[in-house]
Amino acid sequence: MDKPSLVEQLNEGVEGTLSRRSGKLARADARLDPLLRLAHRLRDLPRPQFKADLKSDLEKAALRTIRADVQPTAKPCLIVENAAEAIAFYRRAFGATETMRFEERGKIGSAEIVIENSILRITDEFPEYGSFSPKTLGGSPVKLHLYVADADAFAQRAVAQGAKILRPVEDQFYGDRAGQLADPFGHVWIIATRQKVLSAKEIERRWDAVLDKERARMPGFDPIRKGFHTVTPYMIAQDGPALLEFAKQVFGAEETFRGIGSAGGLHGEVRIGDSMLMIGGGLPGKKFGVTPATTALHIYVKDTDAVYQRALAAGATSTYAPADMEYGERSAGVKDQAGNYWYIATHKGPRYVPQGLHDVNVYLHPLRAEPVIKFLTQAFGAHQRAKYASPDGVVHHAQVQLGTSVLEMGEAHGAFQPMPSMLYLYVPDADRAYRSALAAGASSLQEPADQPWGDRIATVKDAFGNTWSIATHLGVKPA
Amino acid sequence: MAFIAPTAKPSRAQADERGLVEAAQRDPASFAALYELHFERVYLFIARRVGNRDVAEDLTGDVFRRALENLRTYEWRGVPFAAWLLRIAANAVRDRAKRGGRELSVEDPPEIGTEPDLAEVEDGARLFRLVNDLPEDQRRVIVMRFAEEESIRAIAHRLERSEGAVKQLQFRALENLRARLESRPRPTPRRSAKLGQPTGRKHG
Repeated sequence: MDKPSLVEQLNEGVEGTLSRRSGKLARADARLDPLLRLAHRLRDLPRPQFKADLKSDLEKAALRTIRADVQPTAKPCLIVENAAEAIAFYRRAFGATETMRFEERGKIGSAEIVIENSILRITDEFPEYGSFSPKTLGGSPVKLHLYVADADAFAQRAVAQGAKILRPVEDQFYGDRAGQLADPFGHVWIIATRQKVLSAKEIERRWDAVLDKERARMPGFDPIRKGFHTVTPYMIAQDGPALLEFAKQVFGAEETFRGIGSAGGLHGEVRIGDSMLMIGGGLPGKKFGVTPATTALHIYVKDTDAVYQRALAAGATSTYAPADMEYGERSAGVKDQAGNYWYIATHKGPRYVPQGLHDVNVYLHPLRAEPVIKFLTQAFGAHQRAKYASPDGVVHHAQVQLGTSVLEMGEAHGAFQPMPSMLYLYVPDADRAYRSALAAGASSLQEPADQPWGDRIATVKDAFGNTWSIATHLGVKPA
Repeated sequence: MAFIAPTAKPSRAQADERGLVEAAQRDPASFAALYELHFERVYLFIARRVGNRDVAEDLTGDVFRRALENLRTYEWRGVPFAAWLLRIAANAVRDRAKRGGRELSVEDPPEIGTEPDLAEVEDGARLFRLVNDLPEDQRRVIVMRFAEEESIRAIAHRLERSEGAVKQLQFRALENLRARLESRPRPTPRRSAKLGQPTGRKHG
């Protein structure tokens, strides 16, 4: 009989080793010794399946360790129509791991799943215990907000498993990339990845910008009444009609409205070029209790000299005669009988009005310009356009952009002294501007309220004595 | 026999492992990395001592679960994590022997005590990992034959090969393992270096 081959002999040796027979096989070729010793050692080779199963067990145990150590303060409990199916879905779609489950009459009384570092309870609905699923209720009033490493990939996987996109994953103003999806069981999930950590203040600021944009998109919505700019001076005189006549006579103002104001006096509106002026005040022969408000205005005209002459003829006094100014304008100054200062000017350029300015611009004479600019910036989001200061720090001229308007100012000197003015200001959101004005140091004269002429108005007084009517034009509702 | 000789300066491998341990202490979900690193060592240590696959699997599970539970109590003092695990394993084996001595094989060679010997464990673990590096058909035969304890006939059926071919594969696989085992460990054996101690040397 042939001697068995080495391969056969080795196999016999292996058989012996595996059946744990002790002792060497007498017939084995000596060359097989090292291999048989190896075979002996391999008896303890672990089963790959055991290794994999134990790993999976340990992973679950690790999740239970998380649960035991860091029991979260809030743990949502999701009630669903079919908890077992829902858990299977959350595993496939959200990468959830089930860590616990107990059943009750064939339904899941309570199960727990872990999604990344969060624990959620899942139960079947039990109407008799007041537990209703979104399907029974026709929706859920609670949304679950998940922060994940990659919102796009997470949502994609969830959709592939049957979730429905309610809002696509997009960059959000609050610094997250996020979207919303509905699972097949009626729960809604916000899937987010934090991209930037923003302060609450910054988020608020960004939210305001979003609101403004949304308003701007609303058909027909314009927070500024038609024909007006952001800032409109409101001049109040003891004799309102006289001031109105002065504006018409001297500047060719066109009267667009005349009525009775809230204080029982005149409320008039006139147009000069591309700008509006509001004029109020007492009526002749009637007692008027409102303190007059005067303003300085930088008013551009085609012919400064002619307008200056008309102003004097209409009873104004000269503050300075027409002259060519080093800043590229011919200018003259008058003070009307109500006390308003008019800086009449003709710009030497392609147009009589310089680029960016309107026919009528409000001019302030604060003691110090800096705090006023700061207030306008904080309260109304203004930004500085230009500033000319002398080496000693005196601001001779500054321009601040406020919406569609430019406010000009020069620090008080000589004849140009602070003149608390009344200004009508259009903003996208009167309530918000009112709050930020108060936060910037203004005091409230009147809280925001809707007015019959279609504006929502609040009134504040700033620290420099100016009164601001903060308005948002809502439009007149059809009767 | 003392099985650890604390080194004065931690090696890079020790530093790596320390990172893994600390990560798992902070977040138990990262325990899987330590498990992957040490499974073979723990299993081999236990299997050698209990001589019964079911008991070995049972105890290996206990050891890793206990390690996970007590991970926070493990303090790094230059003691390799493997040594800590094997200490738990040694206790588990001893406890099991006390509770039901019969479960422990009486065939245990007398020179193997219950004290862990890092070098012995390391050699065995290296062999098990070499199995994974075998060509796929050889690896499958070795796993089915030794870990799953299948007969040549059953393996032939599962692999749809002749019994002769399976025996050939078994032969070649063992020869292959012997050759690989005798060759020097690869220059940067990342996995075996993790233990933090050179292999093949006894300390004590």
